[in-house]
Amino acid sequence: MTQASIGPVMEYLTPRPAPPARPSLIRAQRRLGSDAILKALARAAAVTIILMLASLVVVLARAAVPSIKAFGFKFLVSSEWRPNPLETPKLTSDGSPIIEDGETVMEVQPPVFGALPVMFGTAVSSALALILAVPLSVGAALFLVRISPKVLKGPISFLIEFLAAIPSIAYGIWGLFVLAPLLQSHIEPACRWAFERMGSPAALSWLFIEKISLPGGETITRDIPMAGRDMLCGGIVLAIMILPIITAISRDVLKSVPRAQIEGTVALGATWWQSSREMLRYSRSGLFGAVMLGLARAAGETMAITMVIGNNNQIRPSVFAPAQTMSSLLANEFAEASLEIHRSALTEVALILLVMSLGFNIVARYLVVGKSGGRTAAAH
Amino acid sequence: MQYALYNRMTRANSRMMYGVCVAFTAAILLLLILVTGYLISIGIGSITLDFFRKLPIPNGMEGYPGGLKNGLVGTGILIALASAIGIPVGMLAGIYLSEYSANSLLATPTRFICDVLSGVPSIVVGILGYELVVRPIGHHNGYAGAAALAFIMVPIIARTTEEMLRLVPNSYREASIALGATKARTIMKVVVPAATGSIITGVMLAVARVAGETAPLLFTALGSRLLTTNPAEPFPSLTREIFELARGPEPAQHRLAWAGILVLIALIFVLNLTVRFFSQSVRGRVAHA
Repeated sequence: MTQASIGPVMEYLTPRPAPPARPSLIRAQRRLGSDAILKALARAAAVTIILMLASLVVVLARAAVPSIKAFGFKFLVSSEWRPNPLETPKLTSDGSPIIEDGETVMEVQPPVFGALPVMFGTAVSSALALILAVPLSVGAALFLVRISPKVLKGPISFLIEFLAAIPSIAYGIWGLFVLAPLLQSHIEPACRWAFERMGSPAALSWLFIEKISLPGGETITRDIPMAGRDMLCGGIVLAIMILPIITAISRDVLKSVPRAQIEGTVALGATWWQSSREMLRYSRSGLFGAVMLGLARAAGETMAITMVIGNNNQIRPSVFAPAQTMSSLLANEFAEASLEIHRSALTEVALILLVMSLGFNIVARYLVVGKSGGRTAAAH
Repeated sequence: MQYALYNRMTRANSRMMYGVCVAFTAAILLLLILVTGYLISIGIGSITLDFFRKLPIPNGMEGYPGGLKNGLVGTGILIALASAIGIPVGMLAGIYLSEYSANSLLATPTRFICDVLSGVPSIVVGILGYELVVRPIGHHNGYAGAAALAFIMVPIIARTTEEMLRLVPNSYREASIALGATKARTIMKVVVPAATGSIITGVMLAVARVAGETAPLLFTALGSRLLTTNPAEPFPSLTREIFELARGPEPAQHRLAWAGILVLIALIFVLNLTVRFFSQSVRGRVAHA
């Protein structure tokens, strides 16, 4: 305590002739005084936070009602996404067009929406990101907890956390102008060359050749054009983006393994890896939570993925083909959606995304906070 | 004999995994250097003084491609507006969580919801902003964008404020109350001032986070090629302008986008560095107190 802070204290201690207090006034002050006001405001702010989540769910659900009514469960399993009405020749029951007065009778097909392709895109791109990011992150977390000399810990942690602070659009631009051209010109042809050498026709046709059915009913087979902006590119960019969060949380989870647990294994003669494996096993639920948080982030990531995934709203099994995720579909179409049903369908996609990410987050928080008791981990 | 072989195998395996961990860390750092190195080097090559002075100029006109003054000003105003809503609400909620009934029926779910909300995809928040603000007003506007950003700020600030207030030793509160101060006075004059430094840290992290947000602005503030300071109109922002430029076909526009990214990253880096400096000095003070 410094000298200056004694001032107000002295003020309190110096007896002062108090004005005769009126009990009713004091009571009124206590009711309406700063104490009550601050408490009311603080409580209102806490209620606001609960209302924020509630409004998120309620507003999105209400806006999605027209789409839910129109498409129902089919929305989740249909892969047709046609935002504009389509004129087709009206057919009789045996499939031939009706012709009246020498003209084909047309009928208007209303827009149809199905979210399967974007759900597929989100699932595959997130899975790719996890496959690439989880081993790297857990390895780096082990490094930070068990190997790194003290001098390196601070700077490495700072760098990794800075990687997390870079805005998503910066990764998007990097992916679009640096990674995608590199994939297109070098890496993807190299992959193809390697697969051809290994001589696995099944994998080759799965990854590099696709069948397209033309409107006339015939199908053609062709090589998938290497565009660079495809599912693979999206997965890699997502992986780079979720590396920091998985690393940081895994590090905190591993740090909270009791020392005795490690010392015990070492005393029994375990090698470095054997005791590390024991550590990983001990904190597996926390690590799983870290992975879930990474998954939630990958699934909800928008700007970067919109720029690199190629925005093709079809289910194509190859990772070298352009795709679309739920978030990139929203980024691409929501602002331009003019039909009410189109916007409602997009909102339903957003609702699915919201529910999914809430689910991932709730499970992850439960695992990370519940098992490691780490407030630090939960704060990320 | 077999036992010795087993021993040798596990040792070799252990050494290998040790190496793998080192290699993985090196790989992550290499990626970091690759990504930021590219962003910074191309950004530095693209940035000019015009970036800060001019508005975007359409192709074919004199001075093309111009600068992103509108985006810089727009992002500044959006952040100020979002902070004006988000900081008070977030701090008050943090005060509630830490100082009032920390384990009450209201506090526990609030804390949990804060954590969950900070994981909600930001594009979903943009759609909420569209439904709640843009649709009733009838056109895209800056207030909707600021509200969406505030939505993202509140849970982050609330949780950091709570954490930082918890670090203030209980003896401070007891001393203040023993001197006859009311609870409100104790909080505003003793507890919050003691944690001011670290609360600023949390606020700056939240600001850094929303400064780089694009997705919530796409359907709310929309963006504008003009320099406007009236948030009731469609409103420009740095990130959204960068996004549009990067999607454009012209290399000159791409250069402008790279320059924008450089400015954004520099801003976020400075904020982060300041935060680190702040939080270290604060931690030192609390430890001594």
